[in-house]
Amino acid sequence: MEKHMAVCPYCGAGCKLNLLVENDQIVGSEGLDGLTNQGELCLKGMCGYDFVNDTKILTPRLYHPMLRREKGGKLERVTWDEALDFTASKLMEIKEKYGPDAIMTTGSSRGTGNESNLAMQRFTRACLGTNNIDNCART
Amino acid sequence: MSCGVPGMEDAGCLFLFGYNPSASHPIVSRRIVKAKEKGAKIIVADPRVIETARIADIYLPLKNGSNIAFLNAFANVIVTEGLVDEEFVKEHTLGFDEWWDTIKEYTPENTQEITGVDPQLLREAARMYATAEPSSILCWGMGVCQHLQNVEAVHACAAIACVSGQIGKPNSGVAPVRGQNNVQGACDMGALPNYFPGYQKVTDPDIRQKFADHWNVPVEALSDHVGYKVSDLPRLIEEGKIRAFYNFGEDPVQTEPDVPHLTKMLEKLDLFVCQDIFMTQTAAMADVVLPATSWGEHEGVFTACDRTFQYFSQAVPPKGECKHDWQIFSELAERMGYDMHWENAQQIWDEECRALWPAAYGATYEKMAGTGHAQWPIPTLDHPGTPDLFLGGKFTTPEGKAHLVAHDYRDPTEMPDEEFPLILCTVREVGHYSCRSMTGNCKVLALLADEPGELRIHPDDAKERGIRDGELVRAWSRRGETMSRAVIDERVNAGTVYMTYQWWIGKCNNLTLHHVDDRSRTPEDKFSACQVEALPDQKWAERHLQELYSQLKEDLAETAAAQHVEPTCGGTE
Repeated sequence: MEKHMAVCPYCGAGCKLNLLVENDQIVGSEGLDGLTNQGELCLKGMCGYDFVNDTKILTPRLYHPMLRREKGGKLERVTWDEALDFTASKLMEIKEKYGPDAIMTTGSSRGTGNESNLAMQRFTRACLGTNNIDNCART
Repeated sequence: MSCGVPGMEDAGCLFLFGYNPSASHPIVSRRIVKAKEKGAKIIVADPRVIETARIADIYLPLKNGSNIAFLNAFANVIVTEGLVDEEFVKEHTLGFDEWWDTIKEYTPENTQEITGVDPQLLREAARMYATAEPSSILCWGMGVCQHLQNVEAVHACAAIACVSGQIGKPNSGVAPVRGQNNVQGACDMGALPNYFPGYQKVTDPDIRQKFADHWNVPVEALSDHVGYKVSDLPRLIEEGKIRAFYNFGEDPVQTEPDVPHLTKMLEKLDLFVCQDIFMTQTAAMADVVLPATSWGEHEGVFTACDRTFQYFSQAVPPKGECKHDWQIFSELAERMGYDMHWENAQQIWDEECRALWPAAYGATYEKMAGTGHAQWPIPTLDHPGTPDLFLGGKFTTPEGKAHLVAHDYRDPTEMPDEEFPLILCTVREVGHYSCRSMTGNCKVLALLADEPGELRIHPDDAKERGIRDGELVRAWSRRGETMSRAVIDERVNAGTVYMTYQWWIGKCNNLTLHHVDDRSRTPEDKFSACQVEALPDQKWAERHLQELYSQLKEDLAETAAAQHVEPTCGGTE
């Protein structure tokens, strides 16, 4: 069994933990002596890891890019190239037609981490040219 | 937070105002229990008898929506009973006289009708808070922020800390304990419409120039005005101002207020992109769904609620074709003719955060290795980090002094009436998190609590409606309706029902009012008028619940299943 150090992805307490891994599946967690948690974990910290394994209890994980070719149509799988080309050309078209402030993006306050938020806000500001970025701090 | 979480246990008094730590932050709650064991006084002001109220020295059951009247009266006692730290006020604050002009009108006695709090008890609490040694901490949560007078209440809390001298020393001050694991981080990193990373203003020309130079764009390419907030999205779509929405790692169809209206508006977008790890209800509506790696499948840094940066590592390989979120943004930018390339997360951290935000420069990956951490401000490599802000009464305003601001009380937006006589207050679930896409897919957590969640109701309100404990009920408001399971609970106040916002069938946000304040644009999620009724045919109701839940899960599974049908052609080239 492997152990990988992580920080709990639930509340803002920032509890340090080890993820226990077998055959590329997360099979457990154990508290580490972090600044806030001192080895302790709560219910979610102890039992909240297996969503990563795609348990499909509530809803499935996403594995591949998908695209709805026309409004009202169904989502279908596409290649990364097609998904990104479509998104980029649509964003450029909307920026051209209505200006950059017609586009809004979000950061994510959840499991993705600070680096992705840095990347998203730079994309929004430097590439799209708008400050229309926000996160779920209000809800 | 002006203090650190560990330091909470060394304060002399913890005043919890609209904050329920045992549900929202169990490991912070543990510090509060420890503080009590070490002799600290605990004050709880909350309409519900929350867990912490059980160990409180003083419990103040205030009425929902009365925060400003309560806090003003609390401040009034501090002044009229001679508990002001005169020296602190003189040396470190501005505007006392004007502040007092408003506060003097509010006494525990003349606000009792609004707050419902016994004046003597309120006086006792104010004395306990203001005189505690060595320090008091005023802690709050969404019970302050998701009300009409939210920013006003934050002003009031900060002023109370200042006039009583309970800020500017170790383990003191104000502790708005952030909810999501990295909401502090998303804000720190500039996922806000008014700030670049590190709270550097987008309206400051020198700051814009600094970022333009670093990002290799002409300064004119960066917008010089504050952007829109996400809570205004439905209105902006309705007005035709927003045409494209790129939703990243959020599930507004579950977490935003007045979901029926939001859903209608999202359908109007010219382009709706959703980047997530799950087929959420929001992702199922998108035009483009981009699969990202999950926590556990990537490394990075989170910021805890007390400004502590901590590193987390990758434990397992990515699923399917999932890419890291930052890689997706980088590849999109490249297609739009903008070069924004990094090799790994550490390079982003060093180049986009540490290099541009002086207060984070000392927060290296090395320092955060293992169980290490770095608490900002941490401006140099050998800096130890900063658990306590404003030490010695040094504030970050231009004058270096705290501005005391007071506001008059106003009634909440949607007061109960004959048709909708109950207040709906949305709260948190201990075993589930946010929109529940993560915890709802965890075996143990899903077993412990499942749809349609609970509606906590006082015995009198239940009796009046013929509602029995554990039965399914219908709840509705001017926005929409939902089904929930009644739990008759004498620890909640009569006249208000409480629902947690995690449930997809028992969705309280079908009911919530979408009203935002002028300053922060935060929805008034703690106060909507609603009505609840018993469902006479419980057998039908239980069956109907299962049908709705199965249908929702089947629909999402079917939508997601399309991703396993390989594409018939390649790219668009």
